[in-house]
Amino acid sequence: MASAPEANDKYSQAYLPDFCAAGTILVILLVAELVAIVLTLASFETSNFLTELSKMSMYLLWLALLGTAVMCRLRPWAEKQGNTQAFVVCFVVLEVMCLLLAEFTYQLTVTFGQAVIIDDTHAGFILRTFAISSIVIALAMRYLYVSSEWRRSIVLEAQARISALQALIRPHFLFNSMNTIASLTRSDPKQAEEAVEDLADLLRANLNASEDRTTLKEELEVAAIYQRIEKLRLGDRLSVRWDVGELPMRALIPSLTIQPLLENAIYHGIELLPDGGEVNVSGKRVDDDLRIDIRNPVAPDQSRKKGGNKMAMANIRQRFELAYGSRATVDVEETDASYSVQLQFPCEEGVV
Amino acid sequence: MNVLIVDDEAPARDRLRQLLDEDGAHTVVGEAGNGKRALELAAELTPDVVLLDIRMPGLSGIETAHHLNMLDSPPAVIFTTAYDEYAIEAFEASAIGYVLKPVRRERLDQALELAGRLSNSVLGDVARKSGISERRNHVCTRSQGELKLIPVNDVHYFIADQKYVSVFHADGQDLIDDSLKALEEEFGNAFVRIHRGALVSLAAIESLRKTEDGRTQVVLRGGGTDNDEGLMVSRRHLTNVKRRLKKG
Repeated sequence: MASAPEANDKYSQAYLPDFCAAGTILVILLVAELVAIVLTLASFETSNFLTELSKMSMYLLWLALLGTAVMCRLRPWAEKQGNTQAFVVCFVVLEVMCLLLAEFTYQLTVTFGQAVIIDDTHAGFILRTFAISSIVIALAMRYLYVSSEWRRSIVLEAQARISALQALIRPHFLFNSMNTIASLTRSDPKQAEEAVEDLADLLRANLNASEDRTTLKEELEVAAIYQRIEKLRLGDRLSVRWDVGELPMRALIPSLTIQPLLENAIYHGIELLPDGGEVNVSGKRVDDDLRIDIRNPVAPDQSRKKGGNKMAMANIRQRFELAYGSRATVDVEETDASYSVQLQFPCEEGVV
Repeated sequence: MNVLIVDDEAPARDRLRQLLDEDGAHTVVGEAGNGKRALELAAELTPDVVLLDIRMPGLSGIETAHHLNMLDSPPAVIFTTAYDEYAIEAFEASAIGYVLKPVRRERLDQALELAGRLSNSVLGDVARKSGISERRNHVCTRSQGELKLIPVNDVHYFIADQKYVSVFHADGQDLIDDSLKALEEEFGNAFVRIHRGALVSLAAIESLRKTEDGRTQVVLRGGGTDNDEGLMVSRRHLTNVKRRLKKG
């Protein structure tokens, strides 16, 4: 039920590119070749540039190709690890591979008596390879990490925006409310008038939902308005117990979270109980966090039909993740007779 | 025409009554707040048309319509719904009468004019297509014009006997009109066929036992094996029965 690991799995896939794909290999070879040109240009041996470049290229292309092959094998495993761990392991494996290859190359040139290729001592050659490859590998990994983070934030933001749209009032509720109002206009015009005002306020709150956070006071007000409208329709079948006095009303909460959860509790719970029931909304402070619990009874034959609330829940999870990252949790507790959602998030006050 | 209004929400019932009263062409003979009450009133008042909400606690509108069909003179059914995209598609495909909330007078008049009887197969079709409720929660039996609802959870087994199907349940034994084949299709995930003419609730089976002549017999929870011939497992169904019991 925890949201964070799920979401991490989904996004970490973007961290490392597919090293087995032709396109990636081409880019890596290109980068290796560029590094070869830079290194050759930087050396003072400019008399026969092309010969030097070809030697350098050959050596670096070996390294690059072998490194790509290693990463191609390593990636499926690395995806499953945390970022730091994957980084360290990939780095060490690649570095070991570079050193082995350097040693191998050195031995090769010595054996075949063409030490001219390497104009350095044994240790010097290995050290230089180590230093240069460390820098290049670290830079490449940093680049991959930053660009994947950037992609991830774009995806998250887009999803949050879509979620905010999806959180908009259920058409079912809107049409039912209008039917109620149509009925009340004759039997109880005053109540009909109030219902229209409430509905307008609720729609306005929905339209403003693009602001990511609002105060608890406002969020609870929206939920209370929603409750009033549903009460007209469901009569005595609906009661809601608010136990939120302990919450600091100026604290911030992602907008439209309590109201949709109340809506779920009524739609999937109370409405399907012949005698109705009571929704419990309770809130308290837990250290520096706020904890809000929304609990509703469910009809016995209804508890088996799970999955109806998935969309609203996924959407609230996303918005909490975007707002708080791993500092917030959204948990669901389901039994045969009840359904409850617990939100826990850092208590932050601010100006909206 | 005589109309019975069924909706779990009081304002929605009021609205329909207002419209019908004003119109004058039809008479509202009763109002019910749930499916069970609707069935009682329908049997008592024999309305021509029932205006039936789909989303109701307990018996859904679709299930209520199923059971209304069991009455001696079944009423025509018009569904009322706020917004059920799939249900509406399904209604249109099956030419079922419906009105959308908020209810418009012209639309209501139109639907009343066209109101007709719905067959069970059409209702089943709609339920499947719209995913409203794939299964009924009750089976319905009739004695002297009265409907009796038996919760499917209380059913121990169904036995087909020539023309009729008997249902054995917590409260006794009744005859129902459904065929065993249709029952198996509808409740197949909770019931298992033990021979050609018997469908037994998995939850009601205590164990299997071998008889002296080497046949296999179902032992029901609470020791109800009185109907010894009826609850023999045929050889053809034995493997399947064992498999289903293991899974459950």
